[in-house]
Amino acid sequence: MTNHLGDMQNSKAIIIFGANPASNHPIAMQHILKAKEQNGAKIIVIDPRYTKTAAKSDVYCRIRTGTDIAFLYGMIRLIRENGWYDESFIRDRVYGMEDIFNECEEYTPEHVEDVTGCSKELLIQATAAFAQADPGALIWNQGWTQHTIGSSNTRLGSILQLTLGNMGKTGGGCNILRGHDNVQGSTDLGCLADTLPGYYGLKESSWKYFSKQWNVDYEWLKGRFKSKEMMESKGFSLGLWIHGVLEKENEKNNADTPLKALVCIGNGISTITQTHKVKEALDKLDLVVFIDPYVNDAAVITTRDNNMFLLPAASQVETEGTVVNTARTAQWRSKVVEPLYEARPDHEILFDFAKRMGFYEQYVAGMGKGKNFNWPDDATNEIARSLKTIGFQGRTAERIRKHTDNWHLFDTVSLKGKGAVEKEYYGLPWPCWTDKHPGSPVLYNINLPVSQGGMGFRNRFGTEREGVSLLSGDGSAPVGSKVDGGYAEITSENIEELSGITLSAEEKAKVEGKNWKTDDSGILVDTALKAGLAPYGNARARTIVWNFIDHIPKHREPLHSFRPDLVSRYPAVADKKNHYRTNVRYASEQNAQKWTEDYPINIVSGRVVEHMGTGTETRASKYLSELSGEMYGEVHPNLGAKLGIRDNEMMWVYGTGEGKIKIKCKYSQRVDENSVFLPQNFSGVWQGESLESRYPKGTAPHSFGESSNQVTSYGYDQQTSCPETKCSLVRLEKA
Amino acid sequence: MSKTQYAKMKFYCDENLCIDCNGCVVACKEAHEVPVGVNRRKVVTVNEGIVGKEISVSMACMHCSDAPCQQVCPVDCFYIRADGIVLHDKDKCIGCGYCLFACPFGAPQFPQDGAFGTKGKMDKCTMCAGGPEETNSHEEFEKYGQNRISEGKVPMCASMCSTKALLVGDADEVALVKTYRATAKGKGIATEPMGW
Repeated sequence: MTNHLGDMQNSKAIIIFGANPASNHPIAMQHILKAKEQNGAKIIVIDPRYTKTAAKSDVYCRIRTGTDIAFLYGMIRLIRENGWYDESFIRDRVYGMEDIFNECEEYTPEHVEDVTGCSKELLIQATAAFAQADPGALIWNQGWTQHTIGSSNTRLGSILQLTLGNMGKTGGGCNILRGHDNVQGSTDLGCLADTLPGYYGLKESSWKYFSKQWNVDYEWLKGRFKSKEMMESKGFSLGLWIHGVLEKENEKNNADTPLKALVCIGNGISTITQTHKVKEALDKLDLVVFIDPYVNDAAVITTRDNNMFLLPAASQVETEGTVVNTARTAQWRSKVVEPLYEARPDHEILFDFAKRMGFYEQYVAGMGKGKNFNWPDDATNEIARSLKTIGFQGRTAERIRKHTDNWHLFDTVSLKGKGAVEKEYYGLPWPCWTDKHPGSPVLYNINLPVSQGGMGFRNRFGTEREGVSLLSGDGSAPVGSKVDGGYAEITSENIEELSGITLSAEEKAKVEGKNWKTDDSGILVDTALKAGLAPYGNARARTIVWNFIDHIPKHREPLHSFRPDLVSRYPAVADKKNHYRTNVRYASEQNAQKWTEDYPINIVSGRVVEHMGTGTETRASKYLSELSGEMYGEVHPNLGAKLGIRDNEMMWVYGTGEGKIKIKCKYSQRVDENSVFLPQNFSGVWQGESLESRYPKGTAPHSFGESSNQVTSYGYDQQTSCPETKCSLVRLEKA
Repeated sequence: MSKTQYAKMKFYCDENLCIDCNGCVVACKEAHEVPVGVNRRKVVTVNEGIVGKEISVSMACMHCSDAPCQQVCPVDCFYIRADGIVLHDKDKCIGCGYCLFACPFGAPQFPQDGAFGTKGKMDKCTMCAGGPEETNSHEEFEKYGQNRISEGKVPMCASMCSTKALLVGDADEVALVKTYRATAKGKGIATEPMGW
């Protein structure tokens, strides 16, 4: 998130799309409710389901799943018509707003009502409440990201905030509430298929930078890959790996081989779509390894009988190190007890792998102490040193420990410290440029000097495009800046000119050929900060992404659309070859058959408050199982009556793939008459059959249920390949 | 001289803030190791899914000043402490269930169920104040759970409440917090926040 949890208290309006913090982030909800009660903030919830969050809202808009872009363009059109946009912010800090204003033209309130199903009166009410409030915060979640057009949803949401000038402001911003503990941390560390740690990408220059950080020879590193081409190409993503196992056509994207082995560490695989395909893939692999504190539910779903290993991992309280929360804030987590029984911390298991595979020496070389390193402090410092792109330099083990130990000295609304940690922000939210920097609680805030957490937008995509400058306008630099307007990212070439500071010959030699994200000496960053310059430059936020399929976000109907009549006007993109090594179907899937004829009901998916992810851990709690121990589907009483399914009766749900599940029908008015809500927290029942007997003795959880993802449809984000868990069609039948 | 005023301990749950997360329920069960099926605390949601009308509120024994359970109990197992906390003696309880009929909140819980009234000893919220056994003894924990009040701690449910909807303490103090909130309503976020 660009701001932080406590900062939401400063909002005057909070608009929540595709998120349900009351169920999924109860503590974040505290801040939202404080904003409502004390600050008089209007809470606006846009969701297909009347959630527990919606129950606390001032304005609730029910939309059809997958139509957020139409709703957003409808909002932007009203904002433009009524002159509610922030003219100077757009003039100085945004690139390409004209294209957005052109695109929004067709989304009249009447048209939005037709596409989304939300009445135009509510659209106008929601827009007026949000646009006229200053500042307004935007919250989104997986309800936006897990779509074929998820990347467009998130872009247009950010553009809405740019339009209103809500970025870089206390109480504003785009506040994405991450779904699990330390998700932000694992993203920063590059647990992704398309980038090295710190979002450095996969190009040769990035590998060379990291071979230096890791203290290993680049040629040796390259030798570990089949070819340089494979080294620099994106891998299979979490959503798509099954197609690398099952479909022969993808082999040529993967150096002419199918995937043969899977090592899964702490991931609940059945939260990804098409669990029935996951089972097939797990059955086919040569080797499967699960590393978890609890038995991974996927290990029970597969029926393979050899070459599967369950390695017991320590839980979070049995190991030590940093975690990063949704607001980019780091916290030290101490070990409470030694690992129980034969469980071992993840890093020990990985070290053992490295030893047996013969690269342990290189594996630990980055810490610079050979085999005599001090875990986890040395690793934390290696991370701090290496991840310069997001300003980790100041997040040393010593400073993070100090913040956590002095937890009580920080203010919960501003994150500002007192006493021993005066002028610092809790957990040193990145970017934290140097070991003196206080951290940056609000991104893109130009009302603070860079040395105190201020910055403009990053200059990342060149300084001009088609003759138009991408650097920000005059007068829009952070307070105390040597340059008043925009400037390019800092390199050894431009540092002296921009900062007005002359480097010594020795310093010049050290930074020769380097830029702010590759300079290990820290001279470039230090000099930039002295002159009040953000190391990454000061540019405009772009609304046009010229390297994406959709240059500006466009509404596209889901692959399995509930409104087939709109498909010709808003079609899916063309099928995509080699998308994360997979040939992915879009238009051809959308037009493969008349989906609504056989599958006339929309899915709304989400989580229940009692369970986390697949529920692997929480269903092992007897009390949580008592509160929520059974898989169900929420059905509107009118739909139930139409289908002849009574409250609490069992029903079959058939998905557009081959999956089906047998679950309890729960009458509820949270959903509309065309939808069924399916929680995604259950596993351990397979198409009506219990899998309890497959758990190793004494490891079965207290409650089981069908995994909803057996019936979610095929579909992946057109840019990121995130699986579509949200827009699926199903058929309900009485069991 | 006026009579000494003792604190009167009360629960208060703000339905504008309760989000039905069940944090209080699980906190209570974990703290006191209550058997599955016995719910000292429950979150009740009214008008679930009805747009604009849904509210949730966390309920337990409300520790009434004129506790009806005490008045109907045939074996007189209830006693009210000077601070208003209503407790009972499980050794005296015969599991008749009269208290459940009398209670306006459905607080009394029974560990067993059967056709011939074999309900077992009644169990209910103690406001984390244990029972008549020796304070903080093993026996007290086994029968009534933790005694946090004796250690000066807030009862588990309220301390775990994610939105601070559930308050507990001396009635005057609870009223002060509520007064503070009502006064601060719409006035902007305090720069030096106090709890809520």
